[in-house]
Amino acid sequence: MTTEDMATETEAQDEADEDSLISTDPGKGGLDENADRGGVTSGKTIIHSRDLDVFYGETQALQHIDLEIPENQVTAMIGPSGCGKSTFLRCINRMNDLIDIARVEGELSFKGKNVYDDDVDPVALRRRIGMVFQHPNPFPKSIYDNVAYGLRTQDKTDDMDAVIEESLKKAALWDEVKDRLDESALDLSGGQQQRLCIARAIAVDPEVVLMDEPASALDPIATSQIEDLIEELSEEYTVVIVTHNMQQAARISDKTAVFLTGGELVEFDDTDKIFENPDSQRVEDYITGKFG
Amino acid sequence: MATQTPTQETTEFGEVSRLKGIAFKYTSFAASIVGILALGVLLAYVFWDAFGLESAGTTWYLSYTVTLLVPLLAFFAYARTRPDVVAGAFELFSLTLGGVMLTVATVIVLSVIASPPVWFAYFLTVVGPAIGMYVYGQYNREATWVGLGILAAVVVGPVVGTLGLGTFSSLGAMLGAPGIYFLSLVLPGAGMAAFLAHDRLELSKRQSIGIGVGLPVLAIVGVPVVDMVPQIARSVWLIGLVMFGLPVGFTVVNTAQRRERWAAFAFPAIAILGFLLGEFVVGVVGATEPSPWLDWQYVTSGPSISNAAEAGLYPAIIGSVFLIVLVSVFTFVFGVGTAIYLEEYAPATGPLGTITRLVNVNISNLAGVPSVVYGLLGLGIFVNINAQLGPITYAGFGVGTVFTASLTLSLLILPIVVISAQEAIRSVPDSLRQASYGMGATRWQTIRNVVLPRSLPGILTGTILALGRAIGETAPLIMIGAATTKFSPPSGLFSKLTAMPMQIYAWAFQPSPDFRYGVVAAGVVTLLIVLLTMNSVAILVRNKYQQEAH
Repeated sequence: MTTEDMATETEAQDEADEDSLISTDPGKGGLDENADRGGVTSGKTIIHSRDLDVFYGETQALQHIDLEIPENQVTAMIGPSGCGKSTFLRCINRMNDLIDIARVEGELSFKGKNVYDDDVDPVALRRRIGMVFQHPNPFPKSIYDNVAYGLRTQDKTDDMDAVIEESLKKAALWDEVKDRLDESALDLSGGQQQRLCIARAIAVDPEVVLMDEPASALDPIATSQIEDLIEELSEEYTVVIVTHNMQQAARISDKTAVFLTGGELVEFDDTDKIFENPDSQRVEDYITGKFG
Repeated sequence: MATQTPTQETTEFGEVSRLKGIAFKYTSFAASIVGILALGVLLAYVFWDAFGLESAGTTWYLSYTVTLLVPLLAFFAYARTRPDVVAGAFELFSLTLGGVMLTVATVIVLSVIASPPVWFAYFLTVVGPAIGMYVYGQYNREATWVGLGILAAVVVGPVVGTLGLGTFSSLGAMLGAPGIYFLSLVLPGAGMAAFLAHDRLELSKRQSIGIGVGLPVLAIVGVPVVDMVPQIARSVWLIGLVMFGLPVGFTVVNTAQRRERWAAFAFPAIAILGFLLGEFVVGVVGATEPSPWLDWQYVTSGPSISNAAEAGLYPAIIGSVFLIVLVSVFTFVFGVGTAIYLEEYAPATGPLGTITRLVNVNISNLAGVPSVVYGLLGLGIFVNINAQLGPITYAGFGVGTVFTASLTLSLLILPIVVISAQEAIRSVPDSLRQASYGMGATRWQTIRNVVLPRSLPGILTGTILALGRAIGETAPLIMIGAATTKFSPPSGLFSKLTAMPMQIYAWAFQPSPDFRYGVVAAGVVTLLIVLLTMNSVAILVRNKYQQEAH
């Protein structure tokens, strides 16, 4: 990390501290109420954002986001392009730190600890929160080395073969690749590559798996495989998934957050409620295709 | 739309003018032809003089046309539509030449720059441990201390080696040069050959072990044979076996394994057999042979300034090899380091980002600064300076010495190396960096495991091409006072040198036409052969990794 990065973080942190004093006003509690009201299936909250603002330079990408993500469930984030849902996802594991002009204000806590506190090492944080990206991005290495990558960088090399086999099994890829672990991961199909990326992410046993439109670059069959996989993963991991595809959100998620243009979180509730009887007229318009 | 209009029939579509486009196309074609023609004429002209082809009789041409030229042309015609054969032939050709150059460079580095016992000391303390740990790391992937161990060997090893130089080198002296090369080159080379045979060529375990054992046995068995040839020392045999035998053997087996490339073997076969047959025919017919300037005598003797027939390029060749070796080390370390810092670490925004941008712009400017200016810089900071820093006196590295020359040339090509390395690093997709950071990798781990492996081919290609520019330079060498003509090769880092372009330049001023046409042309051809070999190795490296990374 460069000194510059650190400077930005510290700065963001100072402002966040000031802000949290001012803006924890009860007027903004509507969303929290929603979350509580719809909390039929909700487990413990693992990620909690309070009044989170994100800026890219002068542009505000997220506005006052308050959100509670429950443990061991699938939480979907939907919304039109540019509404900030991916930005929010990248706030959770501080991938936004890698963008020089990004600035985060407010609080985002993981298991009760604000990840933007000064004493949080983003690298250590990312070791507990895995991430799968929009386009499959396996390393140009062998299948084995791809899954082993995180284990090696994190010094978890005990019993590596067994861990790799288990991760590939969990990612429903083992049967297809067990005879060619030494071959290049780039020879796999797009769907297989994405499952490999999932296996790579879960090999290091994270607590949360963030997925940024993981199926948007895949064909329908590969997409349905990934969806099945996400449902299985939610038994062990907390999954937060960003998607463009509303049917996908309806199919696989327990909770849904709807972001609309301008970076505001319009509604967050149980998926069934969002899709059948949303509180907000704008959400209803968006879901039924009359985008307003 | 509900209203339907009846379709009108079209009788013609009209024409769109392409006049400008066509004019542009043929102008560009003409421009590129001029370049190719100029190069072709230059090469033909120089080769004609260098090999003294003028004096050859018609029968000589006729014999070689029939035995060598026609078969070669037939081969090219056959290979034209078969890219596998072309690739195979190119690999065989350039790795053979590359093997020769590698052998020459190794001989010079190990026995001229460093004496064998000194090399042995550093082999024991630096090279040996580093290779050993690297191999262990490949074998046992779970040993994460290996990287640090190698770093330690590279940093601590030289200190230990220098402190214990006396002990280690007397140990080496007891072994003798051949013994040292056997231990330090042939045995590791045998291990590497066995590994490559098994891992890359996918030979059976037994065959690979056979190769690993066979190489040292061949080395020993070959010694009495080599002793019968006075020109080849035992050391040269052992070094050549590893440095020439390994790459060539690898390519031969690799080509033999791929059926579609078998025809590539026809290329060396035709070249060698055609040449021998031509020699035989010429001998029988008694044709007048050409009297080449570029021959064995030319590359092995010193530069006469009075007798063109005795003139040779040997000291200059050795000087140039010194430069290649040192410049490549300097520029690779500093150039790649700078590029990594600028691309991966340096801040891109804020006040520090302005400095980064300033540095970037100035590196681009430096790449365009004339070489004579770098010569002046070299003269100023490596030759003429006289600084006293407390107890340390820094009085430069001497006029026209190997060290001064290689530092100056390094400065000259450093910007080019930095820019090409930056390009290579920038071409690594950001999604791979993101993937790595997302896995909880640190910046260093990401650079080490993702960015560098992916950009290395581009970095190597850029460095090799820039080196080509460095060894062709004359102006900076003149500025730092390098000799134009030297009668013996440089013997160490601080001995004076001359380089190939300098020597060629000096000969061009001789009044005798024999010098101006024959000897100079032979020098140019030698320089071009070295340059083109380096470039083809660069192309090979690039192609090889492009295939691996798709």
